[in-house]
Amino acid sequence: MPAGKLALDFIDFCEKQADASMIEDRFVATLNALGYEHIACASHVDPLRPRPGAVSIVNYPMAWLQQYSAENFAYIDPVFLAARIMTAPFNWDEFLSKMPLDRVQKRVLAEGAAYGLTGGMTIPLRSPDVIPASCSLVAGADGVEPLDLAHTLMVVIYGHGAMHRRLNPNALVEPVVLPCRERQCLALAGRGKSDWAIGELLGINERTAHNSIERAKRRYGVSHRVQAVVRAVFDGQIVLDDLST
Amino acid sequence: MIYIVSAENRRRFYHLLTEMHRQRKQVFIDQLKWRLDESAGLEIDAYDSEDAIYLIEAATPRGGISVSARLLPTDRPHLLSEQFRDLCEAPPPSGPNVWEATRFCPAPDAASGAPRRLMLGRIIAGIMETALLFGIDEVTYVASAALAPMAKGAGWEVRALGGGCGKGRDKIQAFVATIDADGLRRVRANFNISAPLTRFAPAEPARAA
Repeated sequence: MPAGKLALDFIDFCEKQADASMIEDRFVATLNALGYEHIACASHVDPLRPRPGAVSIVNYPMAWLQQYSAENFAYIDPVFLAARIMTAPFNWDEFLSKMPLDRVQKRVLAEGAAYGLTGGMTIPLRSPDVIPASCSLVAGADGVEPLDLAHTLMVVIYGHGAMHRRLNPNALVEPVVLPCRERQCLALAGRGKSDWAIGELLGINERTAHNSIERAKRRYGVSHRVQAVVRAVFDGQIVLDDLST
Repeated sequence: MIYIVSAENRRRFYHLLTEMHRQRKQVFIDQLKWRLDESAGLEIDAYDSEDAIYLIEAATPRGGISVSARLLPTDRPHLLSEQFRDLCEAPPPSGPNVWEATRFCPAPDAASGAPRRLMLGRIIAGIMETALLFGIDEVTYVASAALAPMAKGAGWEVRALGGGCGKGRDKIQAFVATIDADGLRRVRANFNISAPLTRFAPAEPARAA
């Protein structure tokens, strides 16, 4: 079947299917049909202990996953590290050839290669999950048709989104919007300033600074100001530049 | 050995085709800084399709590419008719008996100088063998200032389609080459090629599901 038809049929299936596990099966079958044998579409955590609500479809050999989990490879694997900083799909060999690798990283790659996990491609996925996610694909013995790449990317990106929506049906909640004063105070708190210092910097009362941060904490439903800072950075209301002095 | 990869047999050359697109990314985007799109380390443009014929010189049918080139049918949009129309004084030769040769790509680590000249000679011989096999009379191409004299002097009969564009090393010019057995003999003599270089491997029989 042509790749275009495979991809469009998959999207059509996702639209009509409410059960995430059915979409998972179809996702793997579609990518298999496109020539990919090994698939890992997941957050960058221990593959045997995914976070609740996180998409985790991994058909890598079980022996490898067990070793990966036991030796905490998720914190070492250079492909994961690359996926975190890359904004577009990349080819492992090309990226790794430019990256300085230490001995342990080389060992992870060599041991993965022994399971046939070599020469793959990784598609970074922007997910509303705290942990970065990506989909890695390794072709089967016959290789894959290079002209099908665009359709493969379509399947992965659409499929990941569809599965995420099915697994998190209540994810769409009212977004937190911080008023300007709370945002300013929280950003300064994130730079380690005390209520008194925040008051001096913004020309407001120390008490006002304190209350602004308390209100921001309540909006996020957290009990400590560090948690509120992290949440505000994560949802983009404070950017990292606001925190550097 | 130069493999002829067409719609009919590309299924068995996925590894070679993928390596070729990867080399094209390294050569045209990384080294020559052409403004082309890439995805996942592969350079693929609007003219790459099942209808193109690829000539890929490789150590094995699965890898080790030394040089590659692409032949496009000209009875539909191709580079000379779309991107390089300005290079031709008159409408360029086109039709079912004319191909356009594009994306001549030596491997990114190929030595410069004489080895590259020999690669170009082998690819030209490969283009002529393939064109004769498919009943093609003429092949058009666009060449840079560096490549044009070498391609023109390879032994085939070449005619410029216009005065060219740009100056010095950045000059590009369109040409048309005549395909005939005499020309192929001259190219082979110039590059010490004693036997046909191209191989056409038929598609594998369909596998049981």
